[in-house]
Amino acid sequence: MTTRQVAPAEQRTLTDVAFDPITRIVGNLGIYTKIDFNAREVVECKSTSSIFRGYSVFMKGKDPRDSHFITSRICGICGDNHATCSVYAQNMAYGVKPPPLADWIINLGEAAEYMFDHTIFQDNMVFVDYCERMVKETNPGVWERAERTPAPRGDQHGHRTIGDIMRSYNPFEGATYKEALVMSRLTREMICLMEGRHVHPSTLYPGGVGTVATPQLFTDYLVRLTRTTDFIKRAVAMNDDVFDFFYEALPGYEEVGRRRTMLGCWGAFQDPEIVDYNYKNMNEWGNRMFVTPGIVVDNQLVTTDLVDINLGMRILLGSSYYEDWTGEETFVDKDPLGNPVDKRHPWNQTTLPAPQKRDLDGGNYSWVMSPRWFDKRTNDFLALDTGGGPIARLWATALAGKVDTPYVRSTGRSVRIDLPKTPSTPETHLEWTPPAFPNTIERNRARMYFVAYAAAMAFHFVDQALNEVRSGVTKTFQDFKVPKEAIGVGFHEAVRGVLSHHLVIRDGKIANYHPYPPTPWNASPRDFYGTPGPYEDAVQGCPIFEENGPENFKGIDIMRTVRSFDPCLPCGVHMYLGGGRTLTQSHSPTFGALAG
Amino acid sequence: MGITVGRPDVEPDRPAHVAGVRRGNHKGFIKRQPGHRRNDRSTARRSTGINARHRNPVDRDMPNLSPA
Repeated sequence: MTTRQVAPAEQRTLTDVAFDPITRIVGNLGIYTKIDFNAREVVECKSTSSIFRGYSVFMKGKDPRDSHFITSRICGICGDNHATCSVYAQNMAYGVKPPPLADWIINLGEAAEYMFDHTIFQDNMVFVDYCERMVKETNPGVWERAERTPAPRGDQHGHRTIGDIMRSYNPFEGATYKEALVMSRLTREMICLMEGRHVHPSTLYPGGVGTVATPQLFTDYLVRLTRTTDFIKRAVAMNDDVFDFFYEALPGYEEVGRRRTMLGCWGAFQDPEIVDYNYKNMNEWGNRMFVTPGIVVDNQLVTTDLVDINLGMRILLGSSYYEDWTGEETFVDKDPLGNPVDKRHPWNQTTLPAPQKRDLDGGNYSWVMSPRWFDKRTNDFLALDTGGGPIARLWATALAGKVDTPYVRSTGRSVRIDLPKTPSTPETHLEWTPPAFPNTIERNRARMYFVAYAAAMAFHFVDQALNEVRSGVTKTFQDFKVPKEAIGVGFHEAVRGVLSHHLVIRDGKIANYHPYPPTPWNASPRDFYGTPGPYEDAVQGCPIFEENGPENFKGIDIMRTVRSFDPCLPCGVHMYLGGGRTLTQSHSPTFGALAG
Repeated sequence: MGITVGRPDVEPDRPAHVAGVRRGNHKGFIKRQPGHRRNDRSTARRSTGINARHRNPVDRDMPNLSPA
């Protein structure tokens, strides 16, 4: 029995605090909380989305060969992840195996995307919450201490104190902030070299790529990669210094954003030696991916089998503005291996939107559905999160012990990353070990380690691709026929976590298409079992370390928690504080007209 | 009230492919792609139509790496 003395909710003085919008996407994620300022704790949290996209509705009837071009438009920053995932799903449906060089080129493009997107998010978005200006406002005591604390890894990044690092994170003027913008240009150039365009690639197709493979293509990439790697080595050291300092300066900060370990990773970077995009062999080629797919529950690896992962997916309702589809058509009752496919699986989902007023008090309150993973060991529907992507990827890869390349190795309990000597920095060896539990700081820390992982992998991919080209093999495309009837699924990692595209073709047209990007998993509302989604779960019970009272409360600890999940460029956060009233509900306008 | 729109002139489920137009994924399309060989290699003809043969490697054992 827990002995924690917590007053029942009705006896506590709760203040409604709404953060709406926290942009996902174009400003449509809202976080509605009830905070007990006396106990300095968030008591309740609901995550809502007021945007409906409808891809699963309007994809029906279209030519399946267009699907990667259309679904790329789902996102304005990780569109190429969608294109890649759609290409994987189409390869499976058409039964085509692209030439090895095509897969190496896609891997190189995606590695550059991870470097680009994680860096711009970490240094231009996340660190605004940890920069001098913000910390001075929210925790002046911490800032004073930062000024006095020497940076332990100063020899690697060149900053003398923690305060110096935090000053360099100041938006628009800090050195790191500005350097990250320069890096984002370089890494986008790398993507454009491989995929033709960023973020909506023009040279990715099912069956291969249209990129013309020449030695110069890869050396152009490599030149940029070495310069980016210089930055990454310094960035990892700065991250570690700042995050270690927060633990030290704010004892108990590890409880902020803490959540039970329930992480999902769908794997990234195909190995062309084995991948044939055939569902029947999906476990074999899935396990050879250079980021291992896996589900980690309570710090244990549950599975790395993509077939298990696929069949366990369930899309639940409960607090979403949709009608149930149980009476609608079943598109796939058995997978190609003969396993039964559930009615709530994306292959069988029919989207039936039912717009209605938001009701945060026991009713429906979000356009996001509640994706869950059915754990057949316990019969639980797990609200997996991605932790913003990197922590889940590194955790699954570390425990699986399957990745073994010259630059990155999984040891079964950690991931070792060896970055070679680059123009202005020496060879660097990094090791990421899973923390005791995921929280806000660890999600953020993993992000820069994964950027290093992607860079190290990119060195390997360049080596492999150049081997192909040097032997004169320049083929990048395999022709194919579109079947009348087929099904396909693509598993990939969007920058901020798991990504799957489920495709059903009938009569040569799309009969059903369901993309499941990471944010529906992370931002999901309560399902019909009452299980809260990951944002809600991580923010509920979150202690408040901010020194400001209710009058000028910024909600920095809540914002850091939500942003640690990388809710897609939260660039325009507005906040509405309900005037300190007790348990009154305020209806916040979506675009923050009342935000102050 | 509302937005005035014209009469729709497309069927939403009409496939993008127009009959008669060559498809990039067409089986055997390699016949129409000069410079690409069936052994997964390519020649200078991939890059240029002008005196392509003179731009191939001088030694047969060298890889044929034409520019983009």
